[in-house]
Amino acid sequence: MAGPMRTIAIDLDDTLNNFEETLQTTAFRHDGAYGFSESVFDDYLARLRRHAAEDDDLLSTEYSFFKYQIHHRCYELATARADGVEFMRALKRDGWRIVICTYRDLRRANDCTRKWLNDHGIPFDHLFMAWNKIVFCRVWQIEHLVDDDSFNIIHGATHGVNVYYPAMERHRALQPNRARAFRSFGEIAPWIQG
Amino acid sequence: MDPRVNLLKEFYAGLPKDRAKVETYEHGFVFLEKLLSGGVTLEYGELTLSGLLHKYKLGNIPLARMDELLHAHVEKRCNVCLYFDGAANNMFCFNLDNNHKTDNTVLIPEMEFAVRFIREQLTGLGCEPLIVASGRGYHAWGRLEAAVDNDRLYDFMLHVAVNTMAALHEGGRDYRQIKINVYPDRRIRGVVSLRLFGTDHAKNKVFSRVLTPDGLLDEAASWAAFERHLKHGVISREKFDEALALIGAPGGEPAPAKRPVADSES
Repeated sequence: MAGPMRTIAIDLDDTLNNFEETLQTTAFRHDGAYGFSESVFDDYLARLRRHAAEDDDLLSTEYSFFKYQIHHRCYELATARADGVEFMRALKRDGWRIVICTYRDLRRANDCTRKWLNDHGIPFDHLFMAWNKIVFCRVWQIEHLVDDDSFNIIHGATHGVNVYYPAMERHRALQPNRARAFRSFGEIAPWIQG
Repeated sequence: MDPRVNLLKEFYAGLPKDRAKVETYEHGFVFLEKLLSGGVTLEYGELTLSGLLHKYKLGNIPLARMDELLHAHVEKRCNVCLYFDGAANNMFCFNLDNNHKTDNTVLIPEMEFAVRFIREQLTGLGCEPLIVASGRGYHAWGRLEAAVDNDRLYDFMLHVAVNTMAALHEGGRDYRQIKINVYPDRRIRGVVSLRLFGTDHAKNKVFSRVLTPDGLLDEAASWAAFERHLKHGVISREKFDEALALIGAPGGEPAPAKRPVADSES
């Protein structure tokens, strides 16, 4: 008799795709539709690329609009990790329930996210946005999370969530944690069995 | 059926009922399975920053299920938010939000000024709105006797909104302190839903009280005002055409330059 369905949550940006590389290397151009000059555009882009803190106390600003437009373009242009795609297909074949769990504003990015996943043949069951993925996994009783975010890497295990992350340079300075780094998605498969 | 559900169905009769966003604290795969029974689809889900409040964008909702959702809405077991039709609507709505990252449920002077100015403009044009507290500000709804092309609704609302921002600026106030989004927005389709009247705001638990020129009504009086507006607040086709001409917005203008869209509805 089959047991309860096993569930895994997977992040998109810089986990299944190369979002950061796309942001840093794509030649974005002022398309004429922005309500500000090219020099402001260039300034905003430089700010976005160095991940400068947003000190404005307003929610919706010219910069926040610009930021979303560029991020949206990155969602469309980013390429999928081949080993990630294969991993997702294997999960599906093995009967896992797959939840895509992202920080993206799916209200605006739902269509392009679904298209990207479909275009790359990446199977999934549900799409969720969550600002706190550890809380999300906890309350939905999801045991496994694949995600590159430092907060989740550090705090996942403390809250009963097994976190697996693609090893990157920026993870070298992380405080000690119980998450597991991988070079290839194939490494995850034995960790989530049992 | 609860008479309040019938009022909601009548008031929002022009909005599509096969899709909705549902706000609820319920979550988990057992709940989700129940929510998606009968062919309902999940576009996406969201765990918000407000405790364990979840939002679910649903599609393919059968009419009977929508009735159930509306029933849960008036009983305050969930909030139902509806989307506008992509081509034409018999409703329009100004969504006024406090634009601050923190403490954005506070009523600020710019908001008080803007909502009063919008009411005066619309009333002066013969299009008296139903204004409802939305959590971070107000929703100012207009109901038409027949569906109007979204381009014309957008032109009309854009002029009212621009006049309001200009008046704020001319009055020495910072118009960036608030956001005015107008729906249906012809630039974005199926993206923003608006919470229906008749329930509590998910974050601050405040009922969607009706705002009159004399102030906010309590829950019972708000339902009565809602019913009155349903019966007497319909804008005729002729009156809307006249209002559109008066405010100087001929239909079919090209879309203006892109502006920020709302970061979150309420």
